[in-house]
Amino acid sequence: MSEPVVTEGDLAEMVEQVWVSYLDPEGVSPLVQNGEVKQPTEVHSTVSITGSWHGHLVYASSVQAATRAAAAFLAMEPDEVGQEDISDVLGELANIVGGNVKAMLPAGCFLSLPTVVLAPDTASYYPAAERISGLYGTWAGEPVSISMWQSVKQEASA
Amino acid sequence: MVIDDSRAMRMILKRIVAKLNFDAVEAGDGQEALDLLATMTEVPELALIDWNMPNMNGLEFVTKVRAEPRLREMTLVMVTTESEQSQIVRALAAGAHEYVIKPFTEGAMIEKLALLGLVPTGANS
Repeated sequence: MSEPVVTEGDLAEMVEQVWVSYLDPEGVSPLVQNGEVKQPTEVHSTVSITGSWHGHLVYASSVQAATRAAAAFLAMEPDEVGQEDISDVLGELANIVGGNVKAMLPAGCFLSLPTVVLAPDTASYYPAAERISGLYGTWAGEPVSISMWQSVKQEASA
Repeated sequence: MVIDDSRAMRMILKRIVAKLNFDAVEAGDGQEALDLLATMTEVPELALIDWNMPNMNGLEFVTKVRAEPRLREMTLVMVTTESEQSQIVRALAAGAHEYVIKPFTEGAMIEKLALLGLVPTGANS
């Protein structure tokens, strides 16, 4: 099997930049990788990539981690964070990682606007895609993942 | 002026420019920004512009601003995840003065604005 176009190492580098820039500027609470693909997540933020490559970038976390991310991003207390704040911040996080991922893909790709849903089981949203890469871990003890999904149809026609 | 469809990103950018004593107005897309500019008697000194936005994207906004004599003094900085070299070239060719790739730290943004002469060098320290 050939190496994915975006590796776990690539995702880790991008995630580290996001944490340093917005979620953990003091560098005291990094995302700790645990490799647990099946850890439960309840908030899923997705950007789709189309054009010369077809797939999705999914940022997933627990509600608690999403709340913490929104609070950090918006300089609010966690108990002040509302659902709109979570949606906006997680959408932007997927957009940032997805945009940087797009730069690593073949030229001629386009990034969609983000979609954020509160529901379990990421895979159910993309039955025609398979996971090609992912970063799985915890942030302050709460599950967070960033994964890349490639359209199966595209692979079949390649 | 901060132009981004993400309210979260607008808040981050407004926090940064507020520290530099800018009074920021905000818009959620290029068209909203143009509509807002049409009502303003004083043209903002600086616009921080996302690329991917609904209704009118950042590149279209830059092109329209550059075609409008009244707005030609505005300093235009793209703040975007579009990090391919070809996209950077497109934005600069359309009239953007600088390009900041997300994610960015507060310090990196201030350094870019200092390079444009909008804030004193060393404002970051």
